[in-house]
Amino acid sequence: MTLTRRHLLGMGAALGGAAVLGGWALWQGRGGPSPLLLSARNDEAGQHYCAGYFLDGRRAFATPVAERCHDVALHPILPLALFVGRRPSRESYLIDLRDGRVLQTLQSQPQRHFYGHGVFHKEGDWLYATENDLDEPGRGVLGRYRLNRNTLELIHDGEVPTHGVGPHQLAWMPDGESLVVANGGIRTEGSREKKNLDSMAPSLVVMDRHGELHSKETLRHQQSSIRHLAVADDGTVITGQQFQGEAWESVPLLAVKRPDQPYQPFPVSASQLAMMDQYTASIAIHSQRRQVAMTAPRGNRFFVWDLDSAETLVDVPMADCAGVGVVGDGFAVTSGQGRCRYFGYRDGQVTSHWLDLPAGWWDNHLRLR
Amino acid sequence: MRAVMILLLAGLVSACSHPRQEVTGQLTHQVLLPAHQQWHDSNAALLVATQGYCASELDLAALKQSFYRSLQGWAHLQPLMIGPLAEGNRSWQVQFWPDKRNLVARQVEALLDAASSLDQQALENGSVVVQGLSAFEYVVFDDSVDLEKQSERYCPLLTGIARHQVALSAQVLSLWEGPDGMTAMLTTFPNARFANVDEALGSILRTQITAVDTLKKKLGVPMGRLNKGVPQPWQAEAWRSQHSISNLQASLSGARAVWERVRSLVGDTQLVTRIDAAYENTAQKLAGLSEPLVLLVQHKDNQLRLQSLYDSLDNLETLQQIELARDLGIQLGFNANDGD
Repeated sequence: MTLTRRHLLGMGAALGGAAVLGGWALWQGRGGPSPLLLSARNDEAGQHYCAGYFLDGRRAFATPVAERCHDVALHPILPLALFVGRRPSRESYLIDLRDGRVLQTLQSQPQRHFYGHGVFHKEGDWLYATENDLDEPGRGVLGRYRLNRNTLELIHDGEVPTHGVGPHQLAWMPDGESLVVANGGIRTEGSREKKNLDSMAPSLVVMDRHGELHSKETLRHQQSSIRHLAVADDGTVITGQQFQGEAWESVPLLAVKRPDQPYQPFPVSASQLAMMDQYTASIAIHSQRRQVAMTAPRGNRFFVWDLDSAETLVDVPMADCAGVGVVGDGFAVTSGQGRCRYFGYRDGQVTSHWLDLPAGWWDNHLRLR
Repeated sequence: MRAVMILLLAGLVSACSHPRQEVTGQLTHQVLLPAHQQWHDSNAALLVATQGYCASELDLAALKQSFYRSLQGWAHLQPLMIGPLAEGNRSWQVQFWPDKRNLVARQVEALLDAASSLDQQALENGSVVVQGLSAFEYVVFDDSVDLEKQSERYCPLLTGIARHQVALSAQVLSLWEGPDGMTAMLTTFPNARFANVDEALGSILRTQITAVDTLKKKLGVPMGRLNKGVPQPWQAEAWRSQHSISNLQASLSGARAVWERVRSLVGDTQLVTRIDAAYENTAQKLAGLSEPLVLLVQHKDNQLRLQSLYDSLDNLETLQQIELARDLGIQLGFNANDGD
């Protein structure tokens, strides 16, 4: 569904956030044609920020926050986003995208912490976040939060299991009601220390948002932690793994679940695998162009493949490349160390240019609006 | 079809008078590239020596000397291996360390048991564990191998490894050459890899500082720092050839070569003096160790000296990682070391 501004105004009114509406219209005007890039970011002093920059380089906001965040859950209608605390954070931040104001510091429930990823439901009333159950460390739960339309606050409203250990990223399937969840398989106990490298249990789960399990699949290599994913319009899911075994072994780090087909490795060359240093960070799918992009920050490498043929379209060095998101005909890519870049691929040619955004310190995920 | 890359580059190439550009150019042409070339030359010499030994034209002592030179070349290069050698798991093909489960010995013997005579293709298709200097060292130095009597069994492997090292180092050198090579990336900005000289200089320093951290591991692991203080002598690098200390010295000299060029950029003269002193102090402590590390860690009397060396390396790393990086305004780490 393509949302027009009239739709947005109508839906916003239906939600009752009258105070937000006027600001939303104003804010839309400020951005002009340049999309807003949202990402967690640090500065050189180690201060954490919820950051929003228009892609042309103008700063929308950079809000200092107490804990480092990871992914950003965009509200589908209102100018809101939850910057989700990075494992094992106890805080996430609901940000007003018009000015960067913190509307709410969302505390995790007792004996729970955030795993860095969350998503809003398409109608905007519910948020789902992957969390760790510290009473049974590693047991994945999906925290469910209701958005109060009047106060613009998220209120915890229960949880369901993710049917696996150490859940990380999650995304909606095309029906907008079921979720695909990457259970990383690693048990942690409120820290970043990995407790079960010899008995990891990663899995890719498709479940409905109320907790019912639709499918649960695994990969051959039990030490391949399934961490990041993206879903194409047709329901094709690409996942990125982080291998916890020997650094010199060659193990698939990308996998694909196509509609009605089993979950299996996505074919990339052995030399590309070696370039990834056993670590994938962020995945984005350009559904119209049927392209999938992936960052490998440890290998300092950025890739784009054809989603259907797996042909390599872009394979370039990029220092500590971090988040990736779809922009126009290509992808915007941030970096933890250097300048952010745009990469596009069309008619057999790669186009690339640096973006006029601050260099370095960007976290591993970005969202564009 | 290989994609053709069109870079829509903004900005102009900076003038060569820029001090950082001058230093990065010096590092590239006078330190990094020559170290890669010397490593390749030592590999070429190792192949000649191996073929000579296997044809009974050279003795074992000469073969060992040639191996030491390759190992030294590799150790010196580690703090300088920005770019191609650091990518694509290539460095695993040179050396397999740490070898926690004695995989080198086990995989070499299994490979040789599986074939009546090993050919180059079988080695190329095999594990990185058997393709590098660690496997070569096992064959030449391990007590369980009588190379003189079993040269028919082991010579094809030694020759294969030496060939592999020559081909690998030639491949890496070729990736330094040409308009899209690493040399160009480090000297002309912006380019496909670096937006400006600061990014290039930052990458060189990251490589160098990571190598100093690795030196701490190469010392700390056999000392037992990760094993509740219980020494692990056979976890030392190059313990079979008893060359661990020489390797540490060669790597330190590589790291120091970077510092010697970078120091002119540092504004804080006291910091320059302190880093100079840290290098000198570490070098002296290493020079004072006359026995091989595999033996030193096994005697409690040496504990203080080894701890002192470790502290010295730790100080050197901290000075560069925190104070030098701050002085130069260069960012040394983020997601690659601390992601999710």
